[in-house]
Amino acid sequence: MNGKNNMKSGRTLLMTLALAMAAVSPAGAAEQMKQEAAGNGFSLHGFGTLGLARTDDDDAQFVRDLSQPYGLTSRWSAKVDSMIGLQAGYQFNDKLEAVLQAVSRYHSEGNFAPEVSWAFLRYDPDPTASLRIGRLGTEFYMLADSRLVGYANLTVRPPPDYFGPLVLSYVDGIDGAKSIPLGNGLLRGKLFAGISPEKMYLGSGLYWDMSGSLVAGGHLDYLTGPWQIRIGQTRVRFDKGPPINEFAGLPDFTDQVPEMEVAGKWTTYDSLGLVYDNSPFQLQLMLSRIDQGSAAFEDSRAGYVIASYRTGNVTPFIGYSRTKSEAARFTSTPPFPYGAYATALSESTHADQHTWFLGARWDLRKDLDLKAQVDWINGSPNSVFPYREEKIPGWDGDMTVFSLALDFVF
Amino acid sequence: MVPRSCLLLLAALVLSPWAQASPGLVLVVNARSGVDRLTLDDAVNIFMGRYRQLSSGMAALPIDQPDNQPEKARFYRLLVNKDLAEINAYWARLIFSGKTSPPHQAKSTAEVLDLLARQPGAIAYLERSQVDSRFRIVLEFER
Repeated sequence: MNGKNNMKSGRTLLMTLALAMAAVSPAGAAEQMKQEAAGNGFSLHGFGTLGLARTDDDDAQFVRDLSQPYGLTSRWSAKVDSMIGLQAGYQFNDKLEAVLQAVSRYHSEGNFAPEVSWAFLRYDPDPTASLRIGRLGTEFYMLADSRLVGYANLTVRPPPDYFGPLVLSYVDGIDGAKSIPLGNGLLRGKLFAGISPEKMYLGSGLYWDMSGSLVAGGHLDYLTGPWQIRIGQTRVRFDKGPPINEFAGLPDFTDQVPEMEVAGKWTTYDSLGLVYDNSPFQLQLMLSRIDQGSAAFEDSRAGYVIASYRTGNVTPFIGYSRTKSEAARFTSTPPFPYGAYATALSESTHADQHTWFLGARWDLRKDLDLKAQVDWINGSPNSVFPYREEKIPGWDGDMTVFSLALDFVF
Repeated sequence: MVPRSCLLLLAALVLSPWAQASPGLVLVVNARSGVDRLTLDDAVNIFMGRYRQLSSGMAALPIDQPDNQPEKARFYRLLVNKDLAEINAYWARLIFSGKTSPPHQAKSTAEVLDLLARQPGAIAYLERSQVDSRFRIVLEFER
């Protein structure tokens, strides 16, 4: 789907929401007090980040996630982390709300063209349940649906070793959530399903049109005292595969090597998340496994841990992340040169690296923070998937990233 | 030997004026809410937007004091040991991912009292000295 269509579907959503707003008549005076207390009416909020970062290595470009077509070099750049988001909401009553969010950030188009990232109607039949329909941010992993909101997060960016492969930011669909008290804590479940309208840049001027792909999943949370634990699974069935034939320059490539076909195959994302928030100490631990339905992408495992301790307005943190993928096993032996191309293409999705990162968040005001962070990435030279524009030979798998960010909300 | 009841009476006489005058932050609800007590976990669930159904089945409507009132910062320090910037960051995550709304932000303490008196599900933190018969104390933070 191109940018114009994306804008168009955003506009359709906008109109649907406007119609829905008009259809629901404003409540009577008797309800007004209740509405006031429930925060009813129109609201406008925003978030943003002004980020500056550079690496020490021009043999590969560092990206925040694979939705970005180009990344950082050894020159300071505001490209990968800077963004601004605007969110308008309308609360009809204590059960019904409409939300529209647009974000401008550096994404697959290679520019900062704004996208409609959220546009939904939310209905809460009671205080323990919620249903949403419209454009919804994807929650493949814990915290993934707020990964653009720098002010809500401790680090400059969510660890790319873990969040980097998530290129689908939103879907058009529905979700439902329910909370139940259990023991001393709270059990929360959520199910979601939708169709992706996005695309991904693959390099060499080629895009992967992911529109029409089905995204469905769910997770269970248990919250008790300072602990929150989550287990989740998301599955994606790609409607169209990446243009592998064009990439290989062989028009009958996927016919000769059917294992490279991506369309119609399911990819599964399993995850486990643990947050221990006993202020001033906080710990985050996440693990994930991506099982690809196609040999075009390698299966991978990833994880990270971040520990922080708040002292006054400054919160220093230390973290470690790791990602490793496994070479695809081809069950057939395709004729030359198809087999060699298949292996080479699959290996271009290889990742094998770990990152130590150290930094601090300084809360300047209650709506403004400043962050500084250094990432030391240590990987094998064939760890190329997390990057853009790798120079082979040259790329040795090691890189240091220096980052500064100013985050705000309003 | 002095009877125990006399000792108790003496203690009550000596301590009661002092106890009444003791400053402290308390969590109160509208007297018609049907709720007598809340645990600290209940209070966290309500004010942090995790679970807002009262035991009576009524929806809880948490109300925040204005930012310039010292009670607000004290309340969140006692509730989750966080300062207001951390609370703001917490809500930024939930607001921008379309989840639960933060407590209603009152513009004045008078508005807090007014909402508490008129809304059966309303819940707010007050100085003990601000509590009158329209409200019921469901949790005491400080003595």
